[in-house]
Amino acid sequence: MATSKSKSNSLVSHETQKRLQRIAVYLTALLISVFTIIPVYIMVVIAIQSPASTFAGGRVNLLPTQPSLRNFVVLLGTTDTVRYFVNSLIVTLGSTILSTSIAVAAGYGLTRFDFTGKSIAARAVLFSYMFSPIVLAIPLYVVFSTLGLLNSHFALTLALTAISAPFCIWLMWQYFQTVPIALEESAWVRGASRWRTVKDVVLPVARPGYISAAIFAFAVAWNDFTMARVVMSRDEMYTITVGASLFLDRVSIGWGETMAVSLLIALPPFLIALFLQRYLLQGFSVGGLE
Amino acid sequence: MSTALKSRVAAAQRALREHELDGTTLLLAACFVPMLVFFLVVWVIPIVYALGMSLFTSPVRNPEFVGLGNYISLLGSGEFWGFLWNSIVYAVSTTALSLVIGLGLALVINQRIRGGDALRTLMIFPYLLPTLVVIFMWKFILDPNIGILNQFLVEAGLIDKPIAFFSTLEFAMPAVVITSVWKFASFAFFILLARLQAIDPDLYERARVEGATTWQAFRDITFPHLRGAILIILLVRGIWMFNKFDIIYLSTHGGPLKQTTTLPIRVYQIAFSEVNFGMATALAGIMFFLLAVVAVVYFRAFAPEKEVA
Repeated sequence: MATSKSKSNSLVSHETQKRLQRIAVYLTALLISVFTIIPVYIMVVIAIQSPASTFAGGRVNLLPTQPSLRNFVVLLGTTDTVRYFVNSLIVTLGSTILSTSIAVAAGYGLTRFDFTGKSIAARAVLFSYMFSPIVLAIPLYVVFSTLGLLNSHFALTLALTAISAPFCIWLMWQYFQTVPIALEESAWVRGASRWRTVKDVVLPVARPGYISAAIFAFAVAWNDFTMARVVMSRDEMYTITVGASLFLDRVSIGWGETMAVSLLIALPPFLIALFLQRYLLQGFSVGGLE
Repeated sequence: MSTALKSRVAAAQRALREHELDGTTLLLAACFVPMLVFFLVVWVIPIVYALGMSLFTSPVRNPEFVGLGNYISLLGSGEFWGFLWNSIVYAVSTTALSLVIGLGLALVINQRIRGGDALRTLMIFPYLLPTLVVIFMWKFILDPNIGILNQFLVEAGLIDKPIAFFSTLEFAMPAVVITSVWKFASFAFFILLARLQAIDPDLYERARVEGATTWQAFRDITFPHLRGAILIILLVRGIWMFNKFDIIYLSTHGGPLKQTTTLPIRVYQIAFSEVNFGMATALAGIMFFLLAVVAVVYFRAFAPEKEVA
């Protein structure tokens, strides 16, 4: 390959050209995977070894020699991590269920019933999908504070659902269009009511659609920082992202505990990526996620 | 329940059934009422309320109607244009870099290389990792005292003393941009990969037979297929990055010296540090207007509402 440079371009054989291309392709792949893996690797290593071995000798040691649970023990023993986690779980599950239910109902209705102004509805849904959480958070804060709803799981659940619902609706709206109406009609002909048809025919067929909507809603709520930061101001109501974000300012908490909590926060998304990425990619193909 | 009431309810229910309100109409209501109520409660009412609030001075005590005063004083301050510029710099650089990296990787994986599936799974991680975790990782890597990048650069003799990337004037924005690109390049990657895999391989076969070079095949086959997706990424990703709050807030709080203060950061500061909700909602109103302008472009370019029937 090195010799090909000395020859003129037209003399480079097709074989060589192909091989060069192959090398370029693998190099790019290698470069990007290293760029992607290194930060994750660092997080895991620092989380599973004690700070004493990580920072031994004034250098950062990133080859785990003595794995230890020390960071997790300190983290769970000296901070409110468990409570923050429970808060996160409550609002994430609440918002996932709420968002997915609204989306399944709306998606079915928008697909199966005809009305004027459908294109306006579509634009409204997409417009709210592009909306910035912080721009919505300020009005929501004002309304929640007027109603005395700040620092409640209920308010945060609503706020998170406001962010995830538009895309979930869009996704279900598109998904139901792939379900042939003939399926439902044949159930009607056999005397099933519209309700039974929805329950026994439509919902089972739509499962991949609402699983991907639920994953999206879950990811939005679990990853959220903005809404929780604005709606929750009392320490015991913090979600895990807000609670952990304050760790860096605390003298008693070092990088070991910080990476340990990162690993815990990263676990649910990691499991989703590992087992449910098929559904997630379906979401991407419908129009991108945030 | 009294018997009189019971019989009236029963009569009403009979009447409903006779008008065939049992099946279809109820289904119709079950489909749309939750969505309509929800949008009204969390979108319409708060936004209308906030737009109203933006016409008043800070309403803590005796709010005073100032009309468009808040908007005028925002747009009249040099500060606003500086923050707008920061938002544009951040949005443009993160979107452009994510697009280039995402495109590179999509083209690579589309070659069906060995390990391609693993690489695809790998690319989903940064995207799913919570922003906070991403910030922790990069704060550690770029830390001036113990960060491995500084350690590496110093030991390699490239710099004399460690750099505090997130708090140095000229490095803060690049550091925030790199952190953001690390997380969001996969967005472009997945959308582009989906488009690439939809291209008919016969097209390339025919081009090869006719003696087209790799570059010509890319220019005449690949690129035209990707053009729409690239435009979507530029518009949608651009909007999102322009409005990004958490990454910047968590990494720099908008500092040093407001070097990374973008409009979303400024909205938050005005609302919660300066406790001036009239001004904060006015700034949010301006951002709402900017989003609406880009959305009009987006709807004109794609007519996405035609995708649903």
